[in-house]
Amino acid sequence: MLDILPEWFLSWFSEDGQEMIAYLTNGKHLTWYASVRYTLIAAVLSALFAIGFGLIGAALKQSGFFLFRWIGNFYTSIVRGIPDILFILFFPLAIEQGVEYFIAKSKCTAEQLSAIGTWPPCQEAQWFLTTNDYLFMACLSLGLVYGAFAANVIYGALHAVPKGQLEAASAYGFSQKQVFWKFKIRQMWVYALPGLSNIWMLLIKATSFLSLLQVTDIVYWAGLLGAANYFPRAGMVHPNWNFQYYFVLFVFYIILTMLSERFFNMLQNKASRGMSVVEQ
Amino acid sequence: MIDTIMNNFLVQEIILLAKPALFNAYFALASIPIGFPFAVMLALGKFSKNKWLSLPARGFIYAFRGSPLFIQFFMFYALMLSLNKVLWKPWGVDEWILHPLFIGPLVLILNTGAYAAEIFYGALRTIPKGEVEAARAMGMSKRQVFKTVTWPNMLRLSWPAYTNEMVFLFHSTSLVYFTLPVINEQKDLMNKAGELFEKDYNIYLHFGVAGLYFLIASLIIFYLSGLFQKRLNRHLA
Repeated sequence: MLDILPEWFLSWFSEDGQEMIAYLTNGKHLTWYASVRYTLIAAVLSALFAIGFGLIGAALKQSGFFLFRWIGNFYTSIVRGIPDILFILFFPLAIEQGVEYFIAKSKCTAEQLSAIGTWPPCQEAQWFLTTNDYLFMACLSLGLVYGAFAANVIYGALHAVPKGQLEAASAYGFSQKQVFWKFKIRQMWVYALPGLSNIWMLLIKATSFLSLLQVTDIVYWAGLLGAANYFPRAGMVHPNWNFQYYFVLFVFYIILTMLSERFFNMLQNKASRGMSVVEQ
Repeated sequence: MIDTIMNNFLVQEIILLAKPALFNAYFALASIPIGFPFAVMLALGKFSKNKWLSLPARGFIYAFRGSPLFIQFFMFYALMLSLNKVLWKPWGVDEWILHPLFIGPLVLILNTGAYAAEIFYGALRTIPKGEVEAARAMGMSKRQVFKTVTWPNMLRLSWPAYTNEMVFLFHSTSLVYFTLPVINEQKDLMNKAGELFEKDYNIYLHFGVAGLYFLIASLIIFYLSGLFQKRLNRHLA
C-alpha cells in the first residue's frame, strides 16, 4: 500500500507513522474493512425479510379464522419471552439439520440412520455451506425474529389509520379494494414508521451476532487482528490490542445508528407531509 | 411412578439446565438493583438544565443505546484485561475483577442503565405540568415536589416500559458467556444448551428447554411487575 501512496503524502508522517499506515493497510486489515459488507448486507436483507414476515404476521393476527389468528398471536408474542439470540442461533441450525435429514433419508443406510449422537448420519448427507449461504440463513433468522416485532408494529399501525378517512374514501366512490390498498395500506406506513425505525435500530445491533453464525464479519476480524502478535514474520509485533479494535466497532455502530436516525427522520417528514395528526 | 417421571428425557433436561439458569438469574439480579438507581440518576442528569450534567448523561445514553451489547462485552473485557498489568495486578484484585461474574453484571448495568434512563427520561418529560405547578403553588420545596410529584409520576408512567426493559435485560444475560471466558462449570443456559447440542445434535430439545426457562422467567418478571404496577396506579382505580 505504501508504494502506491504519493511521496508528498507520506512525507507528512514519521517513520513510525508510515509503519502504522502500512500496518493498517495490510491484507488482513483490508479484508477487515471489506467485511463491513456482510454487516450492511445482513442489515438490509434482514430488514426486508422482517417487513415480509411482519406483513404476514399482521395479516395472520387480524385474520377472521381463529387458527390463523392464534398462529399470528403466538408468533408475535413468543419473541417477547425468549431471547432473540436463541432464535438467531436456532433457525440456521434447524434449517441445516432439516435439509441434511432429507438428504440422509435417501443417501444413508438404515443402520447409519438409527445411530444416535452423530450428525449427519453419514458423510454423504453433509450439506456444505459457503459464507454466503450462512449469511443468507443468518438474514432469514434475523428476519424471522424481528419480523415478529414488525408484525406487532404493523398490526398497531393498521388500526391507527383514522376510520373517517376510509369512510370518506368509500363515500367518494372508491372500491373496497382501492380503499384497502390505496388508503389503509398507504396510510399505515406513516403510522408504522416510528416503530419500524426502532426495529431497524435493534436489527443493526443484532448484525453483530453474525460472527456466531460462521460469517467472518467485522467482529470476527476485530478479535483476530486485536490478538497479541509476537512473531515479526506475521506482521507488526504488538501486545493485545483488542480494546482498540472493539472500540472502533463501538464507534462504528454508534455512527451507523446516528445515520439511520437521520435517515428515518427524513423519511418520517417526507411520509407525513400534509398530515396534521402525526407528531413530527 | 416417580422413577418413570424422573427418567423422562424432558425432566432430565430440565434438571440439567436448572443450575445454568441460576447463572442467568444471578446476572439479572445483580444488575437490576444497581442498574435502576444508576438509570434514574442518568435520566435526571439528562433532564437537568445544567449542561455539565446533561451533556455527559446524553452522550453516555446515546453511546450505550447506539451500540450492540455484544460489542460492549468484548470491549469492556478487553479494557479490563489491558488494565490488568498497571492496575489490577499491583492492587491484587485481578482475581475477581477479571471474573465474568464481576464484568458480566458491570457491563449489563451500564447497558441497562442507558436503556432504562431513556425510558425514565421520556417519563420525566410527560409528567403533567399542572401537578408540578400545583405543588409549587402549595409552597412545597423542590425536594418535596420531587418526592411527592415527580418521582411517583415518573415511576408510574415508565413502569410498563421498564418492565419490558427488565425482561430484555434477563434475555441479554445469555450473551455474557458468548463473550467472556467460561470458567469450569460456570455456564449459563445458552452456553450449556450449546454444549449439550454438540454432544447429541438434538437442537429442539436443548434449545427448547433453554427457551422454556427464559419464557418462565419472563412471565415471572411480567407477573411481579404487574403487581407493582397495580400498586403504583391504585389511586387511579
